[in-house]
Amino acid sequence: MENIKIRSRVNGKDIESEVEPRKLLVHYIREDLGLTGTHVGCDTSNCGACTVLVDGKAVKSCTMLAVQADGREITTIEGLSRQGKLHPIQEAFLEKHGLQCGYCTSGMIMTSFWLLRKNRNPTEEEIRKNLSGNLCRCTGYQSIVDSITYASKLMRAHETEKEGIMVEQ
Amino acid sequence: MSSYFTRAKDDLAYNERVFVEGKGHFVDDIIKPGALHMSIVRSPYARAKILSIKGGMSSKDLGARMASVGEGAMEGKNSVIQPVFATGYVNYVGEAVAAVFADDRYKSEDMLDSVEVEYEPMKPVVSIEEALSSPPIHQGLRSNIISEGWRGKEFPDPASPIVLEDVFMNRRIATNPIEPRGIVADYDGKMLNVWISTQSVHSIKEGLCEALGLGPDSVRVMQADTGGAFGSKGGLYPEYVIASYAAMKYHRPVKWIETRMEHLSSTSHGRGAKGIVKIFAERSGRITGLKGEVIVDAGAYGAGMGEFASRFIATMMTGPYMIENAHVKSTSVLTNKVTLGPYRGAGRPEASFFIERMVDKLADELKVDPVDLRIINSSESKFRSPLGMEIDAARPFLDQAVKELDYRRKAKSTKNIGFSFFVLVPAFAPGETARVRVDGGKVSVWVGGNSHGQAHEVFVRKLVNEELGVPENLVTLYRGDTGMLKDGVGAWGSRSAMVGGAAVISACRKLKEEVTMKFGKYSVQSMLSGAFDVYVNEEQKGSLNSFGANLATVDIGKLGSVKVRECAAYYDVGRALNMDMVIGQIQGGMAQGIGQTLHEEMAFNEDGQLLTASISDAGVPLAEDIPNFEVKVAQNPSYLPHGAKGLGESPTIGVPTALARAIEKASGKRIRETPIRPEHIL
Repeated sequence: MENIKIRSRVNGKDIESEVEPRKLLVHYIREDLGLTGTHVGCDTSNCGACTVLVDGKAVKSCTMLAVQADGREITTIEGLSRQGKLHPIQEAFLEKHGLQCGYCTSGMIMTSFWLLRKNRNPTEEEIRKNLSGNLCRCTGYQSIVDSITYASKLMRAHETEKEGIMVEQ
Repeated sequence: MSSYFTRAKDDLAYNERVFVEGKGHFVDDIIKPGALHMSIVRSPYARAKILSIKGGMSSKDLGARMASVGEGAMEGKNSVIQPVFATGYVNYVGEAVAAVFADDRYKSEDMLDSVEVEYEPMKPVVSIEEALSSPPIHQGLRSNIISEGWRGKEFPDPASPIVLEDVFMNRRIATNPIEPRGIVADYDGKMLNVWISTQSVHSIKEGLCEALGLGPDSVRVMQADTGGAFGSKGGLYPEYVIASYAAMKYHRPVKWIETRMEHLSSTSHGRGAKGIVKIFAERSGRITGLKGEVIVDAGAYGAGMGEFASRFIATMMTGPYMIENAHVKSTSVLTNKVTLGPYRGAGRPEASFFIERMVDKLADELKVDPVDLRIINSSESKFRSPLGMEIDAARPFLDQAVKELDYRRKAKSTKNIGFSFFVLVPAFAPGETARVRVDGGKVSVWVGGNSHGQAHEVFVRKLVNEELGVPENLVTLYRGDTGMLKDGVGAWGSRSAMVGGAAVISACRKLKEEVTMKFGKYSVQSMLSGAFDVYVNEEQKGSLNSFGANLATVDIGKLGSVKVRECAAYYDVGRALNMDMVIGQIQGGMAQGIGQTLHEEMAFNEDGQLLTASISDAGVPLAEDIPNFEVKVAQNPSYLPHGAKGLGESPTIGVPTALARAIEKASGKRIRETPIRPEHIL
């Protein structure tokens, strides 16, 4: 089958590519764009290691075709920091040791971003429920829950400063 | 303007910097121009004769046999060595039959259909019982028993009034690190360069050299960032040999990344052990003797730790208790399943499950508190168990654990409570290697075993700082690389901070001597101004102990669903080199303990077909399944210079037994196996 031209905005940059129609979005992101921070863990859309934001919503990029990203805006883990500076969620995962091997981390952070966008001050129960699509085999989740709670605190503390809570500009 | 975004902390250890920004270097992130992607044609049958293979690379191209290396491997002693490609017969669902190569992963997966394999299915041997009663699955063997022996000495049945016997099972589970296995192999005409997700570059190198007949100077194995392992990435697998061979044959880099389904079918499973235990006891509660048998479902070949596991479990069957007489038979049997390997704990959780379940049963028989029974059977002084374990004085720790876990008060407020006690004997021997190099004002370190999530760099930087006075930000621990460290062991068996740490200290002290020799006296400035390079192989003999105890309380729903209300730990971790990392290890292991107890199983039907088809089916726990843990530690230093002890496997030993007891009490049903399904408790 012929390759198809897609245009999308990835981490704030407009990108035009030709992709095989059957290519998964995660492989397009990793292999065509070289953004290897997004990982593949399970192939069955259970583990969430491949989570990115599509038009601001958390999506498992192994469940979408690259061609479906045409005309859409994608944010990956690489797009979360700003000129070498960390987003508060990244800061919180460091501070509260929300990772061990680091493989699920990108997906955890992107899911957290979406959760904190919907709910600025989630309870522990809400956090655990919202992580049901992201698996971690190392931490036992407690430090991840702590990280997200801490991130919500950091983000709320900055809300009044109107410094651009949104990642997208 | 105060900053919403904060500066990345350059001074932090590697693991604390890169992963939150997605800047890790996992093996699938290594993209080599011109690389071939490899896919594997796998057996759809548990047992069959291969009549013909058309297409692909197969045993006629590569007739090599696997090498037994890594954790629990009986090097050079295995009775049934797996062929790299199935040869003549297939012996488990998922066994590698042929390999195909293409420019990308989509094309190589397409090519799988181009290989035609004709099979003649045979009746497989699936269970331990079938293995013992069926003819051998391999020609030339007399039975399916691949290892058999006894631990302890035969003794006449004591004249004790209480005799209890029971049978237990820990079913097979998959290790399921979130990063699957993977390799990139590249041959430059002289050197085979391998990047791999592993617990030991040294085991992989040794295995590749043996399987492919290569000299040690023509193979270099480098560890990529490793996204979890839990025992399954310590040894050699057929895909590594095939990818390396193909890289040499085609003179192109070859990449293979496991799919999750391949992980479930073709990466070693853990547990898979049956225990038959008989104990003799006085009315006082003192256990006077233990007789038993351990039978391990080793899978189709003698690789991994299948042969060794039964003997290892048998050795630990008396747990931390002072039981004077014990005699345990150990048997490993062949079945038509993927080989058995280590999974976090690797024999220790199985042994603990068998003895702890019996102690709880004895408590019920005598109608006494199970913790009092544990106290009665714990020794005030160190002793050698009749099965061969060196055990420190257990009683002082146990007394403290009862207080720290607030058992007495909690046992009054709920009957649905379980308490476990164990001793972790980590993989202490044979020690570990380290290299410390000073150059350009910086310190570079390599250790024989390296991180797959445990943050080795954190303790290495701390120990180098303590020994040499160098600021931590000038110290880098590099990933495992056989080109930079000539030999080493690996990261498993709760050993890294303990023996890896001891090796780093030894190397630092040697380096300090060299600096003193050169400059007359030691100073950090003089050392950093020079160039030094030291290597040590810090051997360790004997063994170390880490005691631990867990407490769990549960509620059981109408449909038999278990809600873990409370899960607490009190472990002796030796000197904690970094408390946050210690707590993280313990919490993560506790979640795995809950997983094994409630959810995780690799299930097979009577045809040997795997019924577990995704990471969710396999039962890896979700955040919702897991409570907040209460973790307390004792820091009784070991005799090592830095006082460290093993701790990584403690939670997978102690949690299942405490939880099983809590469920037993809550349901009124005797718990004899993991995972505990609703049908066991309704």
